[in-house]
Amino acid sequence: MNYNPTHALLIFFGLVLISYLLFRPKSGWFWVIKNNLKSNEKIVIEDVLKQLYHIENSGKEMNLHDLNNSLKFNDRTIVDVVKKMTIIELITFDGDNLKLTDSGRDYALRIVRVHRLWEKYLAEKTGFDKVEWHIRAEDMEHKLSHEETDLLATRLGNPQYDPHGDPIPTKLGKVADLEGEFLSSLKVGSVGRIVHIEDEPDVIYKQILAEKIHIGSQIRVIENNKERVVFYAEGQEFVLAPIVAANITITLLEKEESLEENMARLSSLKDNEEASIIGISKESRGDSRRRLLDLGFVRGAKISIDLESPFGNPIAYLIKGTSIALRHDQASKILIKKGIENGK
Amino acid sequence: MENKVNSACETCPQFNAKGLKKLGVHTDNIDYVVALAGNPNTGKSTVFNALTGLRQHTGNWPGKTVVRAEGAFEYNDSKFKLVDLPGTYSLLSTSQDEEVARDFILFGKPNVTVIVVDASRLERNLNLVLQILEITDKAVLCLNLMDEAKRNNIKIDERTLSRDLGIPVVPTSARFNEGIPDLIQTISEVASGKIICKPHRIKNVPKKIEDAVEKLSTEIKKQFPTIPNSRWIAFRLLEGDDRILKALRTGEFA
Amino acid sequence: MNKDEIENLITLSSDLRWKIGDDFHDSLAEGIYADASEISSASVSKDNKKKKFRLDAKIDRIVTSKTWGFPIMFLVLALILWITIIGANYPSAMLADVLLDVVHPFLKGLAASIGMPWWLDGFLIDGIYLAVAWVIAVMLPPMAIFFPLFTLLEDFGYLPRVAFNMDYLFKKSGAHGKQALTMSMGFGCNAAGVVATRIIDSPRERLIAIITNNFSLCNGRWPTQILIATIFIGAVVPSSLSTVASMSAVIGIAILGIFFMFLTSWALTKTVLKGEVSTFNLELPPYRPPRVLKTIYTSLIDRTLIVLWRAIVFAAPAGAVIWLISNIYIGNESIAAWTIDSLDSFGFLLGLNGVILLAYIVAIPANEIVIPTILMLTVLVTGVTGGEGAGIMFELDSVNATGDLLRSGGWTLLTAVNLMLFSLLHNPCSTTIYTIYKETNSLKWTTVATVLPVIMGFVVTFLVAQIWRLF
Repeated sequence: MNYNPTHALLIFFGLVLISYLLFRPKSGWFWVIKNNLKSNEKIVIEDVLKQLYHIENSGKEMNLHDLNNSLKFNDRTIVDVVKKMTIIELITFDGDNLKLTDSGRDYALRIVRVHRLWEKYLAEKTGFDKVEWHIRAEDMEHKLSHEETDLLATRLGNPQYDPHGDPIPTKLGKVADLEGEFLSSLKVGSVGRIVHIEDEPDVIYKQILAEKIHIGSQIRVIENNKERVVFYAEGQEFVLAPIVAANITITLLEKEESLEENMARLSSLKDNEEASIIGISKESRGDSRRRLLDLGFVRGAKISIDLESPFGNPIAYLIKGTSIALRHDQASKILIKKGIENGK
Repeated sequence: MENKVNSACETCPQFNAKGLKKLGVHTDNIDYVVALAGNPNTGKSTVFNALTGLRQHTGNWPGKTVVRAEGAFEYNDSKFKLVDLPGTYSLLSTSQDEEVARDFILFGKPNVTVIVVDASRLERNLNLVLQILEITDKAVLCLNLMDEAKRNNIKIDERTLSRDLGIPVVPTSARFNEGIPDLIQTISEVASGKIICKPHRIKNVPKKIEDAVEKLSTEIKKQFPTIPNSRWIAFRLLEGDDRILKALRTGEFA
Repeated sequence: MNKDEIENLITLSSDLRWKIGDDFHDSLAEGIYADASEISSASVSKDNKKKKFRLDAKIDRIVTSKTWGFPIMFLVLALILWITIIGANYPSAMLADVLLDVVHPFLKGLAASIGMPWWLDGFLIDGIYLAVAWVIAVMLPPMAIFFPLFTLLEDFGYLPRVAFNMDYLFKKSGAHGKQALTMSMGFGCNAAGVVATRIIDSPRERLIAIITNNFSLCNGRWPTQILIATIFIGAVVPSSLSTVASMSAVIGIAILGIFFMFLTSWALTKTVLKGEVSTFNLELPPYRPPRVLKTIYTSLIDRTLIVLWRAIVFAAPAGAVIWLISNIYIGNESIAAWTIDSLDSFGFLLGLNGVILLAYIVAIPANEIVIPTILMLTVLVTGVTGGEGAGIMFELDSVNATGDLLRSGGWTLLTAVNLMLFSLLHNPCSTTIYTIYKETNSLKWTTVATVLPVIMGFVVTFLVAQIWRLF
């Protein structure tokens, strides 16, 4: 074969292109084929159960047509599976509408339990970014056995809530309460705490993340109309479109309970200011959170800026006699109360 | 030899300077095992070197010693093996260092645990001290870096501290070998049972947690009547600590 | 002890935990600190009347300032590298004189006088001894200077400030500020750099630092870079500029290494490492006056000698292999010649040649012996006069003579450029690979750290070669 640099380059780039098409994240052919191969009946059944569970929980009803629209499998597969599910008594028909039977409900709860536990696991024990939790849990919920699920729960210390604030069903199907109202429906002046941030649809969830809105934050609604919802939290104002605000759930607090109006994020502390720590936001999780607690970022600790790095990030804080540098995004998850008297 | 003993206590009556022999790495025929724990950057390795006559490198870095080092010394005809544990801020998390340190104190059952703290940063260091005192009841607090504390005008009332913690407290400046003889004397007295420790137990725990811990701890004591740290195991069980769960199942505590 | 009772106990703990809720850990941590605060306030008194003299604070303000922070850092690093390179020259030359020009002939003479068979003599003295001697001569002096200097800075407490200053840049590629230090340590020796990653307490960032340490041009590779740059790059510009040109080329390669380090770090966090746990915090300890003598002693023992010992352990068999492949014949050709033949066309595609590829295969244990091996193999296959014989590594005293020999082996400017690139981008030496395995305890990450840079080296040299030939 005659050598020619142009040919060599063409062959090389050809190979690169092919491997890109095969293995690019998510839509690479290799992954697509792999996914198609494994989307078997079990997965369809479980997805149908989960869908019905969520619909029934929100007090709505669903017929076969809606179900076809809401799941990504083809209609034929779904119809077959639904037929089978009525035979094994996981669901029944109530007129046109589909209903979960008791055993169907149990099964659904188990799937939800795995999903939420896995999200909790990803949040606590791994470094995956939060935009990935949901999709990874969607995959894992079909894979874990009973024993594995219980082991996972024990290892996580039997959590009550997943990282989005959704309650995790226990082994026996007990579900902790999630009470609250959507942010979009609150009156101006209401005070509350963010208890849940919905992670679907993806587009809206990403917007909420981009705003750096944290679960567990205490908020006060400043403005609420058709155009926008404005609220105050942790020393900052946040502006959201109502459709986005509808994905955030708030538990209302009595005015007396609502302490710390001058609560702020540590990232807003200035040189020469002193503050005391109120706590660490629920957004800081897993090892990262533990490490901060170990280092003495606990309620009541006095804190001030020791040094700023040349780029202004990270910043070294003086806490309990030691200088500890934190990055900006970490500091934004530590809540402080500014302006404590000197000498105290 | 750099590790010459030159403290005031060398001449004090209870310290028997002739009875001290630094054995370096020779750790055979040991009478007592001594664990050396402490926060990073408290001069723990310096204390280790001062006690054993070894020269392990001690960097001015948090988290320098990752693998544990061993050395030995002989005092009054008893041989002490010294195990230098990784420096950690806490034993509650799950990093590798913390597991090594925790496992050794819990399962290695050292006769004495010496906890090295930075005298200028006592409050921060007490976090680890209090956790260790939940695990073991034979401990000595080595109040190191006294020279730096003095420079920072920090005074520590050792008697109050010792009373509050329930364990002996020895001030040292290991870099200058000050207080090391006293430390050796105290270690040997705790090891031989001459000093009995009554370690402090964590008090400021919210009621609902304390109740749960109490309940669990009682159950643990029923299964393992001899263990001294049922309360700490209860803490770990509530946290879902894999290692402890496994140890319970295999009966390592018995 | 009863198995069922234990399971009941565990179930009880699960139930209790569920009732307590999710803030158990926080409450416990806060509780412990509350106790700590009570105890310490009872026994600690601080005399605030005396204005405390914080020299620390003053130093900190300067070394982390916007104006002075970076200049001071680069000055310190440059100074250390300069002292290392200049200071190592003389002892290196001396060691080479003694070990290669005095001891080696002496051993040969001794072997001849006791009538040792030629193959045993060649295997032991020309193979094993020579490889070990080479590694010691090139490696020991710079390491014995570099590491104590570095350790002094470490003991003083300056290094955490460097990490503090650099963190912002490293964070952009998903890495930790402390990687600036492990990377600098890698300029001395990658194996030591990998060990130094222990200071990074976040699992993901530590893995990044381990895998990318190889992109720091280490001690064993600087001499190769300088030699090749002097011969080939220095030759294309007027002689008055040749030193400047060749030095810039070498520094350019080092900077390219830093670029690849950032690029790889970034790519790793976006792909294989995204699930690893990441935490960040950096304690800035108080400055402490280093104890110079003790530091020098311990850093010699801890870092230099241990690394050197490992290098020797790995270099000895390499020397044996080099000698064997040049002296064992299959048919009419030695294994070496035969391998070079079969590697030649692949080498050509990469703008290199079979000799270079074979040299990099057999010299996995130590980058120091790459050039001597290349020279020996070149003589072996071209049959030009010179050299010491089959399987005996050598270096020529004059740079010009080395250049002539390489050119007679078919080397062009492209070969030189690609060799420099390949010397930067290839698998870590076996000492480093072994160290990576010991530090990560994972075959997977060791494989990634080993294979990734070679693939990058193949791709880069391939592209450079094709584009070069197009014009």
